[in-house]
Amino acid sequence: MSRRAPRWWLRLVVHVGLSLAAAVVLYPVLLVLKKAFEPGQSFALSPSPVPGEVTLDHFRSLFAATGAGGEPLFLRYALNSALVALGTTVVGMALATSAAYALSRFRFRGRQLGLTAFLAVQMFPATLLLMPLYVLLDRLGLLSSLVGLILVYATTAIPFCVWTLKGYFDSLPRELEEAARMDGASAWGVFFRVVLPLARPGLAVTALFSFMTAWNEFILASTFLTDESSYTLPVLLKSAVGEYSAQWGTFAAGAILTSLPVMGLFYVLQKYLVGGLTAGSVKG
Amino acid sequence: MKPGWLRPPPGAYWLCAALALVIALASFVSHRNTSYREREEARALAAARAVAAGTARSPHMIAGGLVSSAESSPRYPFLRRRTVDGRPLGGPGAPADDKLVYDAAQRAASGGAAVELADADGARLIAALPQPGGAVAVALVQPPAGPESLPIFLLLGLLALGAALASLPGAPFLALGGATLAVPTWWWGGPAASLAIAALAIAFAAARHHGLLARAAGELRRQRVAYTFVAPAGLAMLVLVAVPFAVGLVLGFYDHRHGTYTFVGLDNFIQILSGGGHALSDPLNFYFTLGVTILWTAANVVLHLAIGVALALVLRQTWLGGRGIYRVLFILPWAIPNYITALIWNGMFQSEYGAINGILSSLGLERVSWFSDFATSFTANVCANTWLGFPFMMVVALGALESIPRDMHEASEVDGASAWQRFIHITLPHLRPALAPAVVLGAIWTFNMFNVIYLVSDGQPGGATDILVTQAYRWAFERGERYGLAAAYATIIFLILLAWTLVGTRLTRKERAA
Repeated sequence: MSRRAPRWWLRLVVHVGLSLAAAVVLYPVLLVLKKAFEPGQSFALSPSPVPGEVTLDHFRSLFAATGAGGEPLFLRYALNSALVALGTTVVGMALATSAAYALSRFRFRGRQLGLTAFLAVQMFPATLLLMPLYVLLDRLGLLSSLVGLILVYATTAIPFCVWTLKGYFDSLPRELEEAARMDGASAWGVFFRVVLPLARPGLAVTALFSFMTAWNEFILASTFLTDESSYTLPVLLKSAVGEYSAQWGTFAAGAILTSLPVMGLFYVLQKYLVGGLTAGSVKG
Repeated sequence: MKPGWLRPPPGAYWLCAALALVIALASFVSHRNTSYREREEARALAAARAVAAGTARSPHMIAGGLVSSAESSPRYPFLRRRTVDGRPLGGPGAPADDKLVYDAAQRAASGGAAVELADADGARLIAALPQPGGAVAVALVQPPAGPESLPIFLLLGLLALGAALASLPGAPFLALGGATLAVPTWWWGGPAASLAIAALAIAFAAARHHGLLARAAGELRRQRVAYTFVAPAGLAMLVLVAVPFAVGLVLGFYDHRHGTYTFVGLDNFIQILSGGGHALSDPLNFYFTLGVTILWTAANVVLHLAIGVALALVLRQTWLGGRGIYRVLFILPWAIPNYITALIWNGMFQSEYGAINGILSSLGLERVSWFSDFATSFTANVCANTWLGFPFMMVVALGALESIPRDMHEASEVDGASAWQRFIHITLPHLRPALAPAVVLGAIWTFNMFNVIYLVSDGQPGGATDILVTQAYRWAFERGERYGLAAAYATIIFLILLAWTLVGTRLTRKERAA
């Protein structure tokens, strides 16, 4: 990197180029924002990102839509999404934490196999298991239930939590644990009383990532939730732009409401995500 | 020394017996269900034949009769009515089962004689035999008794005999003892289940003979703390992943049509891998979709890498103002849930009201019908996915660039190296180790990118832009529940991914060693 800044016209060119790129990146987002506040359900003819008229109708109709029993649909779907995401996080973290700790601290036969297995399961698409899971859930009668969906999400949530937490435990110093062992604590005692309190930041980050991933999941939800009352938000948004009656206004309003919370979360957490990916790979 | 028959059988026997019991129970249940179904179907057909022949009706028949052909009503000639045993079929006040009788008669009239379950979860069967003259003999039958009960005493007796045999010293006796359950399963599950149990027993005996089981038990005891830590996640993975995976694997050897599974061996795999009788340019041909998927993956990875690295290099320049703002903006596509992104891009590429066509027409160019042609549809998908995917590469590259020691650049500059030489000899070698796993990961994510393909182009035109995972989905859920074919398709995709992952890890290992 040169200490001397290049000449002013080069800097201008670079800024113009970056601004153009930023405009391309921002444009779809601005379009959605515009569509949420503009009346009418189809995209306007003008491609400009500035809304002509501003109205809150789409948001109002989103909250006003009621289902068969008179309950507000959007809030119902938001609750479903939240329940599923929370359930997935709880199940994933509860089952994965002890395994991640063992893979990080203990040496046992099958450790390498376990590590590879948990990594491999994440890499293969959920869509491969979709059909057997559908047949199995059908037999168990769990097809349109949120519990069934949580079980399906746990298939990827558990390996993800194990792998991320293992990386995190690897970075924790062992001195405290060794001191506790020497004082006579059992392995599980050390785990619950020394390691877990120490690992709270890592646990929080992993839990939030799990929550985000489950909240944003679309294809499994739309395949397994056949009953309208159990839909989650992604399914609702997709149904708003079905083939024959595309209601872009409702979609835009719903998209903003659905993605704002997770976008905020993502910005806070994204440095941990990449850190985990590159650190794990470079260190080996 | 105690005589052999007073000693308890070794632990290996109990494990073997437990597994054999599971296999025996499974084969019994499936045998019982099939023979029950066959027996009751025969009963229903006999009842229908009695109706047709006009002889005494079966005592198990609860509804049905001779359903006449659809005759026109005298007052309204365009209305047709069926009657059963003289009275009109259906209509207000008719018994509830009339609907079942009517449906069965209609199906038989067009499709021929049939016997099937009357209710999805009930036990009744309905048989319909078309008669000459357009009438149909229908019988709704309630089976008299349930299926056979589990012969628990037989199983326990055989297990006790097996325990006695296994307590005798010597590996052959252990094998014999474990294989006792192979005898009844010969009747229930046929040769497959019997051979499985026999093989299991022989395997256990051999393992014990070579001391493998003792060693495994010792290992388990030594490391039991570690194993209890791993147990919850391991068991969950076994149930949630291994079982469906095995089911998917096995389903690939069956064909599923109209609710029945028939064993077809390798037929599904042969059909897929031979192109299924479709031309190479037909999207239903496996190799067409494979080609599209490879093209899709390559195009995306190249674009993501180029754009991501280029932006990272620019954003690293210390003289650039506002780097923080640019960085926040460029991460935006990654932060938005990708199905929402895909739906937005689908909206933007609409030919009538889409924003892209709006921009084109405001620039004076012609509107493009994006989804009606393969090239434009593919381009639309790539645009959407690139918009989604470059932030990841950019962030990885930024992280890698941060690790390059600055003095290296300054020293080489002092030595007279040009910016391009510095890039090639300092920057690039530092980027490669971090980018290699990112590229492998990115390739796998792109290969499996269901949401973008499904939601942006939805495979248009005519399935041409479908990639392997979306095709598998369509075979399972959109083309008449061909679960067997879909399972075989998914297995093939899995093998391709496995091969790619092995190649990829070997490549990155070489990178790290280099």
